[in-house]
Amino acid sequence: MKAIRFLVYSLFIVLLVSCTGKSNEVVVYTSVDQVFSEPVLKDFEKETGITVKAVYDTEETKSTGVLNRLIAEKNNPQCDVFWSGDPVRTIVLKNKGITTPYESPAAKDIPGAYKDPQHQWTGFSARARVLIYNKSLLPDSVPQSIFDLTKEPFKGKVTIANPLFGTTTFHISAIFSALGDEKAKQFLTNLKNNDIIIATSNGDVKKRVASGEVACGLTDTDDANEAMKEGANVGIVFLDQKDSLGTLVMPNTVCLIKGSPNSKNGKKLMDYLLSRSTEAKLATSCAQMPLHKGVKVPAGVPSLDNIIPMHIDYEKTAQKLEEIQGYLKKWVEN
Amino acid sequence: MTKKYRTSFLHFSLPAVVKWAFVFFVFVPLIYTFILTFTGCEKFLSNFDQLDAVTFLLLLKSGSIALAVALLSTLTGTFLGFLLYKMHIKYGSFFKIVLLIPLFLSPYILAVAWKDLFFMLLGETQFITSVSGLVLVLTTIYAPLAVLITGNALMNIDSQIEESALMISRFGRVFTRIILPLIKPALLSSFVLIFIFSISEFSVPAFFGVKVFTTEIFAQFSAFYNHALAVLQSSLLIIICILLLLGEKNYLSEAPFFSIGSKGTKTRTYHNKKYEPLFLSALILWITISVVLPFLVLFVQAFNGGTSQIVKAFELLKPTFATSFWLSLTGTAITLFIGLTAAYSSVRGTGKANLFDLILLIAFATPSIILGISLIKFYNQPFFNFIYSSYAIILIGYTGKYTFISTKLIANAIRQVPLSLDEAAQIAGISKSSRIRKILLPHISPALFGAFIISFIFNLGELGTTIMVYPPGTEIMPIKVYTIMANAPQALTSSMTLIVFSVTLILIGGFYVTGKKLIKIPQE
Repeated sequence: MKAIRFLVYSLFIVLLVSCTGKSNEVVVYTSVDQVFSEPVLKDFEKETGITVKAVYDTEETKSTGVLNRLIAEKNNPQCDVFWSGDPVRTIVLKNKGITTPYESPAAKDIPGAYKDPQHQWTGFSARARVLIYNKSLLPDSVPQSIFDLTKEPFKGKVTIANPLFGTTTFHISAIFSALGDEKAKQFLTNLKNNDIIIATSNGDVKKRVASGEVACGLTDTDDANEAMKEGANVGIVFLDQKDSLGTLVMPNTVCLIKGSPNSKNGKKLMDYLLSRSTEAKLATSCAQMPLHKGVKVPAGVPSLDNIIPMHIDYEKTAQKLEEIQGYLKKWVEN
Repeated sequence: MTKKYRTSFLHFSLPAVVKWAFVFFVFVPLIYTFILTFTGCEKFLSNFDQLDAVTFLLLLKSGSIALAVALLSTLTGTFLGFLLYKMHIKYGSFFKIVLLIPLFLSPYILAVAWKDLFFMLLGETQFITSVSGLVLVLTTIYAPLAVLITGNALMNIDSQIEESALMISRFGRVFTRIILPLIKPALLSSFVLIFIFSISEFSVPAFFGVKVFTTEIFAQFSAFYNHALAVLQSSLLIIICILLLLGEKNYLSEAPFFSIGSKGTKTRTYHNKKYEPLFLSALILWITISVVLPFLVLFVQAFNGGTSQIVKAFELLKPTFATSFWLSLTGTAITLFIGLTAAYSSVRGTGKANLFDLILLIAFATPSIILGISLIKFYNQPFFNFIYSSYAIILIGYTGKYTFISTKLIANAIRQVPLSLDEAAQIAGISKSSRIRKILLPHISPALFGAFIISFIFNLGELGTTIMVYPPGTEIMPIKVYTIMANAPQALTSSMTLIVFSVTLILIGGFYVTGKKLIKIPQE
């Protein structure tokens, strides 16, 4: 009897904890920092009445937790929409056959360079890679080009996040795309010879520069903006604006998951994310640059019209990334 | 079916059902993933080739770090445990709880606090981010576990044995020849558990930039999306843990181990007025290093801009409290129940339980991220949706991660209960279930309580597996802290950490008060 009783109790517990009801909902996985993405999703809930069930990522997992989860869930998708902070992860999913095309009417005005030709993903609000520097430690001479970081005055004074993860990987592969393998490898060797400090994440880069542990570092605009909002004595520089290389611009991307359980609501959420109002919100909360023309932004938010962007093809850069991962791993370890 | 046969069948079926349930819910998903990796992957041979000398050297480095942490933590923990549980120390009960504080928080948060502290004090972080710094931080994190394990064992030593020995010998000899051998199972358990925790630890070495075996596994998983190689590398870690456990079992079975702690007698405590200030200073020094300093950093950061961030952090975390509490409590109840069943079979059973011990160990030693992926691959099927899309998947994760710990702690306690008590009751015709309920459980209640506290703390802070499987829309405390901390102001992150710590402390305090009222050790 004990065993039967135990089984009944166990079944009861399983049923109790597994009571879930599918209703008017949409499931979104996002690698965008929760502090910025959650308010947007809450607004969508309020405006549409559709319940948003979100899975956020963490700094500790280098924002790859949701991506690995999406890959592992491929055969029985639970997620409707993936909102990524950069194009790389979405392209990885596209190449693994996890996304499905959706041409959102809300993205009509977004330039073609930020959209997949087959509509497997669409870009919106962009960040850029910038140099964040501590004004006390670099009062006079601030690097203006990534190549300045390899020069003697900045020896041991520059930090960069581990290039195996996050947007730093994308930045490095963009440099490879733009300069070619040989020149890019030479640049990385010179950085290493100049005693570059490898941080754990872009957030760590921001923190080290803001605290004065390191003089300057490469990070994303939203991290740099956060440091300034916190009152840190830091400044930012869009690098390589006087030469042909330019600054890397990274749009957020959104895609619909193939075979998703609530694809209709998923499309509504995509339309919402790709709208001008979302871009305006992200410009306010984290200084992201709208891709739609004419979106009102607060003072201090840079405009894409005033930045010379790095001319790269996102798909090819994502492909390059896969090619150079082995090299980057060795670069980090040696 | 005769009545006798039916009784016999049911008598043995409860532990069997519990074990099979664990095997099905936790172990089968792991095996499923390993089989998929080793049979279904075209790259298997090329991945196997990547297990070269460099990989093994890295494993050796991780093993050496884990060895140093396990030795230092167990030594420190035993010393502090002796002071707190066997000596008369002023405010001993207070110190017992304060010492546990590093266990309440994620190692990652403590690592951040340590690094900030070094930068605040010295203006550089070179030492703390070195291998030595890593060993230091991990030791401060895991020594409380050793205090808890060895402290429980020290409390259970039969005072009669110590007093008899003290009549014919001096204390030093009694300590090395009587006390230490008697707590040997606890010392070994402490060493093994801390070794496994340290060798599996990812967040602290990754944050400090120290390359170890787990960071290599993580890179394969997250940078190269090579799940097969990550699983293959993880199996090396698991093999090391299995060898360690087998060595421990072998050592214990060959050691002249005898039952201690009749539990009917009060534990003996020592007075030493001459050295008491010295001991007190040692305790305060350790607490200052492992608790006060890192917490000072968190306090400074949290209140840097007033109390507004604390209020904001509380508002953010408020929706997570109830879910986190009942999930951790349910997970703890499950792990304790399975742990008790497994421990009883292991210590008092026929020896067949060894295989189940091994299964528990494999689940425990599997890196969290691999356990998470295994649960996704196995349960993310249409017919398992009721598990995968519910809290059940989180509970399965907790059970897989922490049942091994409960089992070890409870097994040590069962070993300390004299078999003669059970035999006497058996002769008196008392049934097995009554003997367990009325004799064994009351005697091991302090250890059950210790296992409850440890499991609860670990469940409440579990992140590695939960982050991979938590159902969309679920709000759980550790997940919320980690997802918010990316790009949130430092003051908000530190405030959230302090709130998580306070909630944990209040809950543990509540459990201690309740436990003190409920637990009554039987007197002879």
